Amino acid sequence: MDLYSIRILRSQPLRLALTVGGIALCIILMLFLLSVYRGVADGSVEYIRQNQTDLWVLQRNATNILRGSSVLFTAHGQSIRNTAGVKSVSPVLLLLSGVKKGDQVATVFLTGYDPAAGAGGPPAVIQGRSVLSDHEIVLDEAFAAKFNFKLGDRVEIQDDTLRVVGISTKTNAFVTQYAFVTLNRAQSLIGFPNIVTCYLVTSEQGTDNSKLAARIRDKLPGVEVYDQQTFLNNNIREMQAGFLPFIYTVAAIGVIVLTAILSLLLSINILERRKDFAIMKTLGSPGSFLPRLIVQQALLIASAGIIVGLIFFFPMVELIQEISPEVSTKTSLEQIALMSMVVGAMSLISSVISMQRLRRIYTLEVFS
Amino acid sequence: MNQQEYTSPVVQMTDVSKIFGTNEHRTAAVRNVSLRASCGELVLLLGPSGSGKTTLLTLAAGLVKPTSGTVSLFGKDVESHAPGELQRLRALRIGFVFQNFHLIDSLKVIENVALVLRFAGKRRAQAKGIARTLLEKFHVGHLASKFPSTLSQGEKQRVAVARAIANGAELIIADEPTASLETKQGFDIIRLLHDYAKKQNRCVIIASHDLRIVEFSDRVLRLRDGMLTSAEDSYVKTLTTP
Repeated sequence: MDLYSIRILRSQPLRLALTVGGIALCIILMLFLLSVYRGVADGSVEYIRQNQTDLWVLQRNATNILRGSSVLFTAHGQSIRNTAGVKSVSPVLLLLSGVKKGDQVATVFLTGYDPAAGAGGPPAVIQGRSVLSDHEIVLDEAFAAKFNFKLGDRVEIQDDTLRVVGISTKTNAFVTQYAFVTLNRAQSLIGFPNIVTCYLVTSEQGTDNSKLAARIRDKLPGVEVYDQQTFLNNNIREMQAGFLPFIYTVAAIGVIVLTAILSLLLSINILERRKDFAIMKTLGSPGSFLPRLIVQQALLIASAGIIVGLIFFFPMVELIQEISPEVSTKTSLEQIALMSMVVGAMSLISSVISMQRLRRIYTLEVFS
Repeated sequence: MNQQEYTSPVVQMTDVSKIFGTNEHRTAAVRNVSLRASCGELVLLLGPSGSGKTTLLTLAAGLVKPTSGTVSLFGKDVESHAPGELQRLRALRIGFVFQNFHLIDSLKVIENVALVLRFAGKRRAQAKGIARTLLEKFHVGHLASKFPSTLSQGEKQRVAVARAIANGAELIIADEPTASLETKQGFDIIRLLHDYAKKQNRCVIIASHDLRIVEFSDRVLRLRDGMLTSAEDSYVKTLTTP
């Protein structure tokens, strides 16, 4: 590292601080988006991932439960149950529903399941217990925190009043949160007692699940059957399709802003040091010397930006989650490494952009 | 010392012209100049402002290429030098002294001198060691850790001369080195350059309109409107006392 790179940057401390601050903000923004994405990705599909079932049965053409609708009849459940190789069948009814507490109204992804069937319920209950009767509900922890629900509180859904008996985790899908009631309650809320969204099928030990899926399809031509992994992938893909374009757009804006800030600072530094650079050229600086100064400055600023960004990122996330508990984030070392690489690459691009100015600095400028 | 003692030329120009601009904006800064400068001599380019002295210096340093004629540096035509080669020549074999010193303000005095040593490929510690020794030799060692802005004009120019000769340059190009200095400081600088030419057997070319330098010069080439008004060898001065 050349002293001159550091001295150039240190000569304008306010400008350096503003630039590092700007870059740190970009890094915080991008890292936050990545963390939200990871949090949403996990929250959205954790319900599916945690319900370790062998097969998911939905209406034909329905590929997922996040952004697709599926309507099956309870009679389908009986037919599936009677299929050779099926050990158990758990019906699930999913619907978006408004939840009231006093004057507050919020939407939940209401999940009706049969507690006796063993599958389809909350992935993990961290307070209280799962529902046992039709007058009970389990709420997501972020939802409960946001609306200040506690165990024993009363929740109004349409004309019914349910008691909060449990708080679940891994059930925050960012735009909405899962809530769990009995299948009967969900069916009565929707007004169709014979309707479900899907069936979770557990096969008997030693059963070939692909053959079982084929048998169910043959028996029920109007349904589609997915193994656990395929169904999980379908939902991840669907979640990504809805969320990634937004993430990419904002991240791209962040990257462009970061590159622009850095290029601008480097260009200003070159213009301000034009005389020095001309002197160095005259004195025989090697061809790589001045470009290296620019790259060093860019990397110094980027590194400082990363450090400052990381220092402020974690407290900021905590603050955001304090204010908006439904904002689910998950930060990993891989994300930080990815972000650092992106910032490093952008700083190199910024230096290449700024370097063009070096070509227009001439040795003759130093002669009077 | 007389002219016969000079060795092969460091700089040789033959019928060199340099024209800037195009069409109606063409300006001939240097016209049909021939000169040679060898190791061990101090050559003064004397002339008023706008006479083409600086252009001739930049031609001699290989910083610009002639419009016509040939410039040979260390025995090789500058046209045949690759840009990287000329850069290496400037780093290793040519030193520069400027009217306005052109020290780099954000570097300390010692770092200014060490910088050219780094350009020449010396390691950081080695460069600093050489720089410190030179600064002490030039009686500015105590200023090594100061920034140039805190130095007097004379001190700045001493540092600039130290920088110019740090790599043992065989050719020193000095553009109005005394113009910003008081009389005594100017003499000191010229003595330093003169000593370098004589004791180290190096070539020093100075462009100036300062007549005080004449007595230190082996040859004075007078320039007016881009042309030599005295033939190269018409003004030969044998120096007896510096």
